[in-house]
Amino acid sequence: MAFPTDGSRALKAYGLPTNVLVDYMLLAAPCSVIRQVTVDVLDILDKAASTSSAQTRLAFTGKSGCGKSYLLLQAVQYAVQKDWITLYIPRAINLVNSSTPYVYDPRTQTYGQPAFAQQLLKRFADVNEALIKDMKVQGSYPFEERTIDSTSTLTDLINVGLEYSQQAPTVLNTLLSELAQQTKAPVLLAIDDFQALYNMSLYRDPYYKPVKAYHLSLPRTLLEFASGKQAFKRGAVLGALSMQNTTFRPPLELVEALGLEPAQPSGPYVPREKDLVEYAQGLKNFPVPDQLTVDEAASIFDVWHSAKALHIPRGDETFLSKFTESGGNAREFVKKALLQTVAL
Amino acid sequence: MHILGVLLPDNQLVKHALTHFYGIGKKTSQRLCARVQIHDRCRMRNLNQSQVTALTAFLSSPANSPPVAPHVLAAPTYVPPPLSQPVPQPEVAPPVDRLREIKIESDLRRQMRENIAHQRMIGSYVGRRHAMHLPVRGQNTQSNARTARKLNRVERYN
Repeated sequence: MAFPTDGSRALKAYGLPTNVLVDYMLLAAPCSVIRQVTVDVLDILDKAASTSSAQTRLAFTGKSGCGKSYLLLQAVQYAVQKDWITLYIPRAINLVNSSTPYVYDPRTQTYGQPAFAQQLLKRFADVNEALIKDMKVQGSYPFEERTIDSTSTLTDLINVGLEYSQQAPTVLNTLLSELAQQTKAPVLLAIDDFQALYNMSLYRDPYYKPVKAYHLSLPRTLLEFASGKQAFKRGAVLGALSMQNTTFRPPLELVEALGLEPAQPSGPYVPREKDLVEYAQGLKNFPVPDQLTVDEAASIFDVWHSAKALHIPRGDETFLSKFTESGGNAREFVKKALLQTVAL
Repeated sequence: MHILGVLLPDNQLVKHALTHFYGIGKKTSQRLCARVQIHDRCRMRNLNQSQVTALTAFLSSPANSPPVAPHVLAAPTYVPPPLSQPVPQPEVAPPVDRLREIKIESDLRRQMRENIAHQRMIGSYVGRRHAMHLPVRGQNTQSNARTARKLNRVERYN
């Protein structure tokens, strides 16, 4: 049931989440398994192609290593193949962990991240060039360096951001609001490490007070789309929670909005931040099963064996023993059970 | 690159490189980076000219540096004005700015010299111990006073 995913320009342009990158580097022909949840997500995307994104705001949840990032990748690739306009952020943690420059913008009263925004604009333009070629801008945006009005296309708008990095955050927000108004092509906004947007960032203001993630320009826009405050006329918003990084854990407000069991104190005397509750409302939980089925695990086993990456015999006994060792957890099956047979 | 005559290697993180100044440790350097909006993972080679100027201007005399306007951060319901309109500048009272009270390099050394000279002048125990090159803070002298014998002076921190 594995299908090859190499040659996908979306993934080459946008990059991959860190946990998936290693698999792609090790395998000659990277693939991912089609599971029942994949089919369900693709069905949801098909229905969402004609409805507002406010109605399709999903968050993939599940145990660590159960396949949320891979599922998001499959959704992004499907959307690209079906000629959706896609904006994929594989590592949203880089937005909040103080690894990119930040600049205060007095107009929006938020911190923009010019380098990140410029890079994202470039990647977006690379992937969606053909789809936005003929789209005209619907508003009028008099930037300092150039004015973009209804005679310009979206590509011209993006080029302002690419040429002048200080305008890149504004251009990115403007681009997203323009995409929200058009109905020519559905838009997919896919964010991995989704819970990082609901945490406190590692940035500090000039008086050393910590800055919340929604005080940063791009995370704020992403949260507005995720909460339905802004919506694409046709499209969907997908987020995948990541349980690996313990600095950015899903906060109580997000956990309660998704109906998960809180791992932290959650009594009535624990304060919930009203702003985060608003940004999390309306998100639908999409649970990813903890275990692979035997068929799915078998196809992964086959793929790794065909890549001549394993030093164990290809047989039912070895397969079942590795499957049992990992308990069906996808990451444990590949990393600990299979790849550790290569370790000396 | 050089800032105020001190060579800061290009490859180092800015928050670590600033600790090469006498009087700036890890905490002060992090606050200084926040003041000038330098992110955690910024290396010296990634700094732009305005940030270098701001750092140099501050470090040359922290007490006389211009106060930084506090950044008002938008509530979720805030709607920014359109691009064509002028940006409103809300007046907010700035909080206490402890960074302007720090001393570095020669100012700090002078302050410490003056403190020791004052202790000597008033004839205190602390002053006498500095003059005798012995430990000041009640440490053992029967053994283990090597550092004090080497470094404690009235004219220390010259």
